[in-house]
Formats: sequence, C-alpha cells, structure tokens
Amino acid sequence: MMPSLLALMPMLVIGFGALALMMTEVVTDAKTGLSIGTAVVLLAAGAFAGAGWLAGPEHLGDASVFAPWLVFDKFTLFFEMLLALGGALAALLAGGYLREHGIERGEFYALISFSTLGAMMLVAANDVLMLFVGLETMSIGAYALAGFRRSSPKSVEGALKYFLLGSFAAALMLFGFALLYGATGHTDLPGLRDTISAEGFHSTGVVVALALILAGLVFKVSAVPFHMWTPDAYEGAPTPATAFMAASVKAGGFGVLLRVLLTVFGDERSASWATGWPPVVAVLAVLTMTVANLVAGRQESVKRMLAYSSVAHAGYLLVGVVATIRAPEQAQSAVLFYLATYTVSTIGAFGALILCGSRGAEVVSYEDLAGLGRRHPAVALPLAFFALSLAGMPPMAGFFGKWFVFKAAMDAGLHGLTIIAFINSVIGAYYYLKVLVFLYMREPAAHAPVAKPMWSGEVVTAIAVSALCVLLLGLAPGGVLDMALAVGAHG
Amino acid sequence: MIPVEHYIALSAVLFTIGGIGFLVRRNMILLLVSIEVMLNAVNLALVAFNRARPETHTGQMLSFFLIAAEAAELAIGLAIVLAVYRIKKTVRVDDANLLRH
Repeated sequence: MMPSLLALMPMLVIGFGALALMMTEVVTDAKTGLSIGTAVVLLAAGAFAGAGWLAGPEHLGDASVFAPWLVFDKFTLFFEMLLALGGALAALLAGGYLREHGIERGEFYALISFSTLGAMMLVAANDVLMLFVGLETMSIGAYALAGFRRSSPKSVEGALKYFLLGSFAAALMLFGFALLYGATGHTDLPGLRDTISAEGFHSTGVVVALALILAGLVFKVSAVPFHMWTPDAYEGAPTPATAFMAASVKAGGFGVLLRVLLTVFGDERSASWATGWPPVVAVLAVLTMTVANLVAGRQESVKRMLAYSSVAHAGYLLVGVVATIRAPEQAQSAVLFYLATYTVSTIGAFGALILCGSRGAEVVSYEDLAGLGRRHPAVALPLAFFALSLAGMPPMAGFFGKWFVFKAAMDAGLHGLTIIAFINSVIGAYYYLKVLVFLYMREPAAHAPVAKPMWSGEVVTAIAVSALCVLLLGLAPGGVLDMALAVGAHG
Repeated sequence: MIPVEHYIALSAVLFTIGGIGFLVRRNMILLLVSIEVMLNAVNLALVAFNRARPETHTGQMLSFFLIAAEAAELAIGLAIVLAVYRIKKTVRVDDANLLRH
C-alpha cells in the first residue's frame, strides 16, 4: 500500500464507511445493526491510525504530499486513535439508548461518524483552511446531535444555545485568522509561526488576532467564561450525544488548541509569561476550575453535574496547557494522557447513567438514584466506579491523569497554579462522592418515582470496554504514557 | 485604487455591528443575520488582504470555503430555530428558558 494512503486511511475509512451505513439505512430500513456497524467502522479507522503509529510517522510518505494542508505526526495519530475510540463507544451507547427511548433514526450514527471525521481533520490540520473545515464538520454534527430529540423542548433549546454561541465563537476565531493573514500573508501554520517569530510579537494586529483566536478556541473546550452553553447543551442532548460532546468534541478542541498555541504562538515572546498568552490561559484555568466545581456542587440533576464536571476537567487540562511553556514535552504528554483517561471515564459515567434509567423512568436528579445500590447493585456499581475515576481516586485512571498534569505544572515552576488545581480537585470530590452517598446510603422517599434500570447489550459492552480502559490506565499506565511521551518528544 | 486600510476599516465596522447585534438582539432570526454579518466581514477582510498580496490566492480561496461552510452552518441553524418555533411558537430567545442553573 502506498505509504501516504495509509496516513489518510483513518479519515477515508470513516468517510466512506459512514456513507455506506447511511445507504444501508435507506435501503434496508434495519436499524439494529447500525450502532455496531458504526462502532466497527470507527474502530477500524482507529486501527489504521495505530498501524500508522507502528509504521512510524516518518514512513507515512513524504510530508510534502499533504503540505501545507495536513500533517500526520505522532500527535495527529494519537488523537485519531483517541477520537475513534470515543466515537465508537458513543455509537454503542446510542444503540441501546435510542432504541429504549424510541428515537432511533439512522442519522444519529452518520452525525457521530462525520463529526468524528471533522475532529480528526481538525487535529491533523496544518493550514487555517483545513482547520476551519474540520472545525465546522465537527461542530455542525455536534449541533445536530444536541438537538436530536426534536420533540423535546430541552433538547432543541440546548441545541439553539450551543449553535448560536458556537457560531459566534467561530466568527471571532475566523476574524482573528483573517487579521493574522493580513499581518503575515500566510494561512499555513508553519508559515505563520516563522513569520511571527521572525518579525516579533509586537504588531497590534497580531495581538488582537491572538485574543480573538484564543476566545474562539477556549469556547470549544468550554472554559469559563465561555462555558454558558455547556450545561444546557449537555443536559438537553440525548445522553449518548452528551457523552460524545464531552469526550470527542472536547478532545478535538484541546488538540487544535495545543496545535495552534504550540506551533503558531510557540515563539519566545508569545509564549513568555511577561508578554504572551500564558497568564491569560492561567487565569482562564483558575476561573474554569473554581467556578465549575463550586456550581457543580449545587446541581440537583446528575447529568447537569456531569456537565459542570466536564467544564472542571477542562480547567485541569488548561493547567497542563500553561505548563507547556517551561516543560513542553512533559506537559504536552501529560495533557494527552489526561485526555485519554478523561475520555474513557466520562463516556463510562454517561453510559452508566443511561443504564440506570429506562423510558419514562430516567435518572434525572440525585433523588432518583436513592437506594439504587441496594435494589440493583449490578447497575449502581459502574456509576460509582466511573464517578470515583472522574474524582481522581487511585487506582482509577483519573488519578494518574491528574497526577501527571499536576506534576508537569510543578516541574514547570507553576506552584501557585498547581496548589489551586489541587484544592479544586479536593472540592470536586464532594459532588462525585454525593453520587455514592445517594446510591448506597439513602432510601427513596415514599411514593417517589424510582428509576428503573434498562438492559442493552451494546450499552453494557461500551461500559465494559470503558471500565477495562479505566483500570488499565490506572493500574498499568505505562503503555499509553509511553505513547504520550513519544508524542511530546517528536512534537 | 482604494487603499487596503479602507476595506479593513469597513470590515472591522461590519464585524462590530454584527457583534453588537448578536449581543443585544433577542430575535433568533436576527441573531442568525448578525452572525452572517460578522462572517461576511471576515470574508471582506480576507479578500482585501489578498488584494494587497496579489502574488497568491490564499485569502480568496479561504473566503470561498467560508461561504460554503457558512451556508451549511446556517442550514443547521435555521433547522434548530424551526424546531424551537414548532414547540414554543415564538422566535424570541428570552422565551427559551427551560434550562436554568
């Protein structure tokens, strides 16, 4: 096989696979196989990215074949594998959830596939044009997924807020890139980097452009104060779509944030504490962690609590992004590892939430969970397990994710930021433990409607795979950590 | 020939008008129009900057892709507004208030 074709295979497999699945749905009207089909297509794409990783990115054909549009380095391949896994797990969750709730339509799987394709284009983008096309492909799919339950006022309302604020943020980012093009004459990221570092970081146009681009990018990762859409869109969306947005869309956002900040604005002046973006991102990180953790503790809806928890995780990840200025390799690999642990933990948590409820008896508030641990221990256990992983308890994956990010921040000399992050993760444990308290130590009030668990092979498979990954990353983080370190070393 | 600064000034004014419109308007359709004004300001800036550097066509090319992607985005946006209208019978964003903290 032509080596450059192997580099493109993950995207080609998803693109053509999703088209084939769409045609199947039209011709046969069978829906049961679609979720497994989508998961297989996405996992195949991930396997091709893995093959590219094993072959080594330097053997994936001449880089000039794709220049300046795409770049296939270890960074891209790592994200492709992560996004493929996230998309496949979300598709499996959708298989059980949509059938149970009577909203099974084939578009859902096509939207997940194309949105994942967009996220892959986004992290592989080496030019503003590709970056924009990837971002829009990812976002348009996500907007539609958020509003998938068209008859539900909450679903369409969440989608409306997501869409309006998302388009506004995209417009800000694009104006920033247009100004950057005006100042440098380049739209390819390496060209932008060379011009900015050669001419210095002093023109007003470049500073304004950086501010606008940063605002657009941190919106995608839902950092405070650009997080207002997150709880609404996450609560309104069908739960598998929420899991997908929390895992894959956020991973894609962090991929492009790292790529833009480290490639384009990685020169000495832009990435210095005194004159560049690091203090701004540090303030955003502190705000994100603190506000999200404080508000999450006050939520009554478990889904909304998980939405705020995903905002809080974005805050910890931003701490890692700031740390890249002094310990670039270590901090970058810590962020990648954290994203891997966060993806499996959060998809597992939403999957467990799906399993706890059924049509007409969904889990909404903490009260709905009361006593579930005694009535249905097999269903309550996964939810407790993933809540502990999100809280960062050893030996779950979440612990090592936090450990490496905090350690990278300490090694970068960011002591204050690390202490704030640590305090926040202790505060955060409160609302995760509240889930356990309600599961195991409370009884439902008399005549209160109780949640009835559902059964679905697909959902159970997705939860089992996530749980396996969480344990693997928690007990033997070596393999994935080595991969993340290899990404950091090769840039 | 009109200097490129004039185009950029116009583009910045349009972008600001669109941004203010987005923040103060309460009608969903007008919010979509405001976003469209902002994106067209971006297109104007790209084409004007390209005119100042006639040796390549990067800016024009980018603006073509923007126009296509904007159309796709707007289609989804109108579909969502329509779905909200079917349920709420209103296009005012203030009436979309089910989800609160």
